[in-house]
Amino acid sequence: MQKRLLAILLVIPALVMIVLFFIVPLGASIVGAFVVGDSYGLGNFSKSFELYSSDMIFTVLIVSLSTLLIGLFSIAIGGYLTLGENPRAVAVLRWLYRWPMFIPFIVVGQVLRTFLAKNGLMNNILVSLGVLTPLQTIGFLDWRGIVIAFVWKQTPFVTLLVAGAMASLDRSTIEAARNLGASRLRILIEIVLPQITGTLLVGLILSFVTMMSVLSVPLMINAQSPTMLTADIAFRINAHGDYGVANALGMISLLLTAGVALIYLRQSVKERS
Amino acid sequence: MTEPAFLKVERMSVGYGSTTVLDNLDLDIHKGEFVALLGSSGCGKTTLLRTIAGFSKPFNGSIQVANRDVTQMPPDKRGMALVFQSYALWPHMTVAQNIGYGLKLQRRSKDVIEARVNEMQNLLGLGGLGARKPAQLSGGQRQRVALGRALAIDPEILLLDEPLSNLDARIRLTVRHEIRSLQKRLGITAIHVTHDREEAMVMADRIVIMNAGRIEQQGTPEEVYNKPASPFVAAFMGAENLLSMQARVNGEQIELAEGAFNPQTITARSGRALASGPVQLRFRAEAARLAGSRDTVSAEPGALELRGQVASVSYPGGHWRHAVRLGNDEILVDADTAFAEGETVKVHIPAQSLFIFNAPQLAAGAPAH
Repeated sequence: MQKRLLAILLVIPALVMIVLFFIVPLGASIVGAFVVGDSYGLGNFSKSFELYSSDMIFTVLIVSLSTLLIGLFSIAIGGYLTLGENPRAVAVLRWLYRWPMFIPFIVVGQVLRTFLAKNGLMNNILVSLGVLTPLQTIGFLDWRGIVIAFVWKQTPFVTLLVAGAMASLDRSTIEAARNLGASRLRILIEIVLPQITGTLLVGLILSFVTMMSVLSVPLMINAQSPTMLTADIAFRINAHGDYGVANALGMISLLLTAGVALIYLRQSVKERS
Repeated sequence: MTEPAFLKVERMSVGYGSTTVLDNLDLDIHKGEFVALLGSSGCGKTTLLRTIAGFSKPFNGSIQVANRDVTQMPPDKRGMALVFQSYALWPHMTVAQNIGYGLKLQRRSKDVIEARVNEMQNLLGLGGLGARKPAQLSGGQRQRVALGRALAIDPEILLLDEPLSNLDARIRLTVRHEIRSLQKRLGITAIHVTHDREEAMVMADRIVIMNAGRIEQQGTPEEVYNKPASPFVAAFMGAENLLSMQARVNGEQIELAEGAFNPQTITARSGRALASGPVQLRFRAEAARLAGSRDTVSAEPGALELRGQVASVSYPGGHWRHAVRLGNDEILVDADTAFAEGETVKVHIPAQSLFIFNAPQLAAGAPAH
């Protein structure tokens, strides 16, 4: 009995923290999404869909495209780190690829804003190299800018996980394929990748959730409409003090990420069976 | 041995970074031969196999297969297939996909691949397991899938990197014979890396004993067992009993000087390259005979007789093993009957079981490896 009491006592601080700082605010915000005036109803949701349905599609498309590109780049980089035969190139890549991880999203947004604008650094370089004339330049400060920022920032994180998983594979499974005449690309696709899909999926889902919650990048790069849901939530609160719609939008993005998490859970259950 | 070697390794040096693992190594292997590379861990035997397979590039020297220089060729162009110690089966593929992958890479038709995979499964006793994943197989079955995957592409040379070391002791004994009879049936050339002396003895036509990146001795199992060329080989082949004596070489005879525990003994030189001076004697526990101190043993010519005291007796199975004390030295001697602890005994070592080498300090003048 004494022991059980002690155990409960030890758990209580953590439990209080979770309830106080996680469950209560989340519950309040969910309840708040259904508060219309003095009663409960779906008014906030109908207003959200009325005003922001294009932003919801925009958000899902942008984050999905970014996730896809992040996956491709991280496989390519991880694959080269694992299968590359030039030790110097591998060492340089290994040293380089992590840096964007340590740069905050807001800084990424700012850096890319000055780089990707119509008269930004990228176009200036292209013009001075004679690749483009000033009239041909276009700015990338729209959905493309957001995708570039997301991919730039999140690829290193997924690569870190993917390259780690690849490095801990039994090397001889790779050598066995080499021995039978498989090219490096085939080894990457047919031997290495199927063995690390679990890790890749975890990395991509974590990235998806992170990108769904980033506010600074859409604000810095793409302040016009359509924009991402995070910008809309901030706008509802800051400009209108409209917590009801903000809460409804928050719940909608929560459901979107929950859908992705569900895919992951089903996949991991299938793998275990 | 007059026919030219099928696989020829010439003056090959291999290493990693600045460390040299193999230095100036030569090795000839004939077609259809089963060669075991035997040595303790770190002796370079796996490096040699991996270099032959094309996974390590030699600093210099050459590797030829059927008079074709393959030194710079990628692993798949050498007509060799490697069976890995960990089997290296692909966990996401079925048994049939694992075995058929090499053929798929060669762009064979589906029918050809299926027929060959079935042939391999039947040959290796894997019938009906084609749809399973490696995780659903026993160790022995995985080992056979790895073998099937290597053999499916019909290689000229089969390379085996300690393929039995992950198996249970009992299964290992049967798999030894399976691999050996398969190799004979297919007439394939095989190189087998192992640290297990008995495994090498049972499986190989020729044993290549390696030590510190050099080949210490090579020959048939009988040769390396009965005529070890160096103290290392003698010890590795089980002659662990070690005594130091003074010897005088006199024509075709070797005189072992009288010591505290033995009378002067004259034995035949029988082709040993030996110089007068301090020598090491090595012999196996089972080669010596034990007799009571008053028993008269018919002394064979050239046999060495030692007198010592039984320090301890144990029964490892089949015979009694005695630790016999000779001053500071202790030797192990097997006998069919047990002698009591503390009893004074005579140890009788026949001439052909006595391995005599110059003591290392004399050999220091000879070129070190």
